[in-house]
Amino acid sequence: MDVDDTTEQTRFAEVFLPHLVDAFRLAHWLAGSRADAEDIVQEASMRAFRGISGFAGGNPRAWVLTIVRNTSYSWLAKNRPSAIVLQGDLDDEARQQQLDQADPDPSPEAQLIAKMDSAAMRRAMATLPAPFREVLVLREIHDLNYKTIAEIAGLPIGTVMSRLARARRLLLASFVGRAA
Amino acid sequence: MNLSEHDELMLNAYLDGELSPIEAHRFERRLGDEPMLGAALEARRALRSALRSDLATDLPSPQLRNRVAGLGRKPHANGSWRSLAASFILGTFLAGGIAWGIVEQRADEGISQQIVSAHIRSLMSSAPTDIASSEHHTVKPWFNGKINFAPVVADLAAQGFPLVGARVDVVDLAPAATLVYRAGKHLISLTEMPKVQDPTLPVGEHREQGYLALSWNDGQMAYWAISDAAPEELQRFVEAFRAAGKLTSLRTLLASAGERVARSAG
Repeated sequence: MDVDDTTEQTRFAEVFLPHLVDAFRLAHWLAGSRADAEDIVQEASMRAFRGISGFAGGNPRAWVLTIVRNTSYSWLAKNRPSAIVLQGDLDDEARQQQLDQADPDPSPEAQLIAKMDSAAMRRAMATLPAPFREVLVLREIHDLNYKTIAEIAGLPIGTVMSRLARARRLLLASFVGRAA
Repeated sequence: MNLSEHDELMLNAYLDGELSPIEAHRFERRLGDEPMLGAALEARRALRSALRSDLATDLPSPQLRNRVAGLGRKPHANGSWRSLAASFILGTFLAGGIAWGIVEQRADEGISQQIVSAHIRSLMSSAPTDIASSEHHTVKPWFNGKINFAPVVADLAAQGFPLVGARVDVVDLAPAATLVYRAGKHLISLTEMPKVQDPTLPVGEHREQGYLALSWNDGQMAYWAISDAAPEELQRFVEAFRAAGKLTSLRTLLASAGERVARSAG
């Protein structure tokens, strides 16, 4: 094994491996299954390994999550074409109207959430269209700020804000709908 | 009544800590005056708490960790079982030493070392517990007067983790409650303390000296589970413990949120 290979392996280990849990969680919430998430992360790790020399520094976590996000969508488009609503298919205006009608009276929501078990929470998450789910997962599970989410998802910050607002409203509305 | 689009964006940005101090101050004033806004904020806080406690517990399989850690390593020309075994060991070493060694939550790093030290010390001493009892009704009152909070003492015998006993550890110069459970031939130390860095961080992984520690918290208390048992086994323990403790803590959280809403509405 020559010196360059060793350097690249070390760099890959330093950049990618510390974020493996984050990578797995993002893929899991985008794909909806552990098995698919493991395949996606493995593919993403190979892409990252091949591209490690192009990583110019900066935020390694954002770099890793960007690769995992993009790999998730390409993997899902190829292997689970019916399971995913891609961004281009999303009619924001129509969805906004639907959401406005569904917007519940907020007071009982907190109590409804208390009654949700993990399985119900997972089902509710699964019904969120991917563009909403991804910003919510990056915000709540990965605890990233708007700027980093915008960078990872390749969106303007304003779009991140509106999608996050709608994602939360959609989830809350789906709880109220389930309980009714 | 629906929130205006602007109010909803402000509300979300406030919740996410994205407002400037001036904007946040202005928004907090409005929160005091408008119960509707306060209720919408509480609902989103409860959603965050539920999402983080329910959805942030997944860990990748050790197999995936090994495969990713082994990337780019060239197989030897005559790939004998020896070189395969060597690359597997190297992979495990890299996965353990690097993935777990570079701890993501640096603030917890010191605590993780202290907790692993306490666990190792307990294994070296003549008894790993100060009180030996498999009865949680005996263990819980034993903590009275030793620590200034009420620890969760879950009965997990049915899930395959019988209680062995308890001890008091000292973490960051403060007493912490530690329960000791058995997982097959291994012992699991479960440390509870009211020291919370960020109220709702997902489950974190820490590796110290070959021991895996998983940490999480419920907003009031931080929990640390540590063992030399297999990672999947420790994860199963954490899930069982959280399931036993979760309902109580979530109910408490939401009851207090509900009271605040009722007060602001009244």
